[in-house]
Amino acid sequence: MQAFHIRYRNTQGTLMRILNAASRRGLDLTSVQAGATEQDYHATLQMEVTSKQTGQLCREWYAIADVIDVRSTGLTREHGDQRSWASPHPPASAGVPAQSALA
Amino acid sequence: MLRGAEIVLQCLRAEGVDLVFGYPGGAIMPLYDALEGSGMRHVLTRHEQGAVFAAEGYARVTGKVGVAIATSGPGATNLVTGIADAKMDSVPLVCITGQVRSPLIGTDAFQETDVFGVTLSLTKWSRLVRTLDELPAVIAEGFHWARSGRPGPVVIDIPTDILKATREFSGAAKFTPHARPADAKADGGFTDTVVALLQQSQRPVALVGAGAKLSGAVSELRQLLDYLNIPTFATVHGLGAVAQESPYYLGMVGMHGTRAANMALHETDMLLVFGARLDDRVTGDPGRFAPHARIVHFEIDPAQLDRVRPCDLPVIGDLAETIPAFHAELRKIPIHSTSSGQASRKTGETWGTQFSDWSEWRAVACGAERRESDPRGLAQPTMRFLDELFSRLPQDSVVIADVGQHQMWAAQRYRSNSPRGFITSGGLGAMGFALPAAVGVQLAKPEACVLCVSGDGGFQMNIQELATVHRLGLPIKMVIVDNKYLGMVRQWQQLFYQRNYAETDLSDNPDFVEIAKAYKIHGWHLNENTMVEDPVASETGNLIEKFLRSPQPELLVFDCHPEANVFPMVPAGAALSEMVFEEE
Repeated sequence: MQAFHIRYRNTQGTLMRILNAASRRGLDLTSVQAGATEQDYHATLQMEVTSKQTGQLCREWYAIADVIDVRSTGLTREHGDQRSWASPHPPASAGVPAQSALA
Repeated sequence: MLRGAEIVLQCLRAEGVDLVFGYPGGAIMPLYDALEGSGMRHVLTRHEQGAVFAAEGYARVTGKVGVAIATSGPGATNLVTGIADAKMDSVPLVCITGQVRSPLIGTDAFQETDVFGVTLSLTKWSRLVRTLDELPAVIAEGFHWARSGRPGPVVIDIPTDILKATREFSGAAKFTPHARPADAKADGGFTDTVVALLQQSQRPVALVGAGAKLSGAVSELRQLLDYLNIPTFATVHGLGAVAQESPYYLGMVGMHGTRAANMALHETDMLLVFGARLDDRVTGDPGRFAPHARIVHFEIDPAQLDRVRPCDLPVIGDLAETIPAFHAELRKIPIHSTSSGQASRKTGETWGTQFSDWSEWRAVACGAERRESDPRGLAQPTMRFLDELFSRLPQDSVVIADVGQHQMWAAQRYRSNSPRGFITSGGLGAMGFALPAAVGVQLAKPEACVLCVSGDGGFQMNIQELATVHRLGLPIKMVIVDNKYLGMVRQWQQLFYQRNYAETDLSDNPDFVEIAKAYKIHGWHLNENTMVEDPVASETGNLIEKFLRSPQPELLVFDCHPEANVFPMVPAGAALSEMVFEEE
């Protein structure tokens, strides 16, 4: 089970766009909690996903105009998956983490 | 005091819009009422899908934001395919839709559709306008998202009462995006790493997508590629970004790419990707895509990374910034000279041997041997016909291809260095795209020769836009490659469904020349037998010349063999190295 924590501005459709990223992949949302925090809004989504989907989802959410930040917890690496599908989030470009590619 | 509709037009002008495409209807009538005397040029298409594709054509060829207008309900839903197309192909597009009066929203009123909801997953950003006061800010923000980063479609849904209401208007709004705590962007540090990877590599290659064009970085990309001098190939949207005469250019990659490009991609140990999504038509079986390669992905949109295969090194940022930075770093390392004296980095012996006979690879890649991709010869006349057409096109012409076999033949035969010279619906593959898109292209480039290549199936999907072409007197050169089939589907039926040609037979097609005549457009027929002689007979050549040089719109129907196929072909789910070259 993976939990995703998404900070966003509560503009029209932003929460729907977040949920749609899951529904378009046919994922069952086990739990959704969303509400205001002191500064902005926060949604926590729980669902069963593969590590590949985790990376795709996080990047897709981060591409939404009013999403501020995306975090995930509970990531489990698939057995035998040598390459990491789940990059850091917000997605990091080459630079600091780039050395890992040389390993 | 201005009406909401007048404010919309003022805001559009402030965004640099002087041309919009649309189709009127009930809820959007106040906006049409305000058009009169506004100085905004409006092009009436004959279907809302025609309007949105025309706006896309305009946007794709100019890089500016295209604007399409439709009414509520069916008018808005008819835009949906174009919106999806713009999302897939990164086209800056703003669609303005009328909505029923605010108090009626949610009541299933006449011509009410939740267009905001319908398009939510297809748009980059969208708004249902709730008050007249917020209208200028909504439009400013919509244009910002349409054109910023990876461009895309925006929907602004405006209830008719807001279009009618009045308020003081002191000028268009400005939008400043909110800063995010950690927007990922390549810093200078990435260049060392990419160069280090390159030095470790023995068989590096470069794959070019549309990103460099969208970033306006084609010149920088070409300079970098000249310096790298490594095998390079392009996606269908990358065509024109790499100079055709470059000795390292191997043509198009992917499902119908060249043997050279696909094999190089399969064998490489380092793949530099410049602004490409790497969708399934480019990668084939993702599990066997560039199986030996480390991938360095230059990309503006982080959401495009790792879609089919994880990349080893993402370089997130505008290619106009990351390419020059990489090139500058590359110039600091020692270089070796090739026999031709061109600057090149060292390549390994294996790669050097494999690519020892560049002329042979390029002959295949650049179509000197058309037979290579058509052993039975059934597609030869059509490919020859396209060669004859393309070779006669004036400089800065624009080719718009629809979707299907003709699209892939056109992409294979296209030989221009014009970055925005080949336009097609690549990601969505929307039949019916070409004719209305050509309308937008011709309006954007009135002096250019605009060649619209369609199949007989796709042309009939937006055939009504012949009326738009005629009304505006647009000198578009329309070609129908008529094989009396839904050709690409038939090809798949032949290859993968035991020749069960279910519902792909279009042998009862109308006479397209007669249809054109009904729209007061001149038409021509050309039989494929005219393309057997080599060179083609002078009268055939003259006909093609006359067709292309005409100052009027012209339609040319080319009869193609019904069972001509597009080869090479990578079957769905196969690796790029498993290209098929013939039917059996």
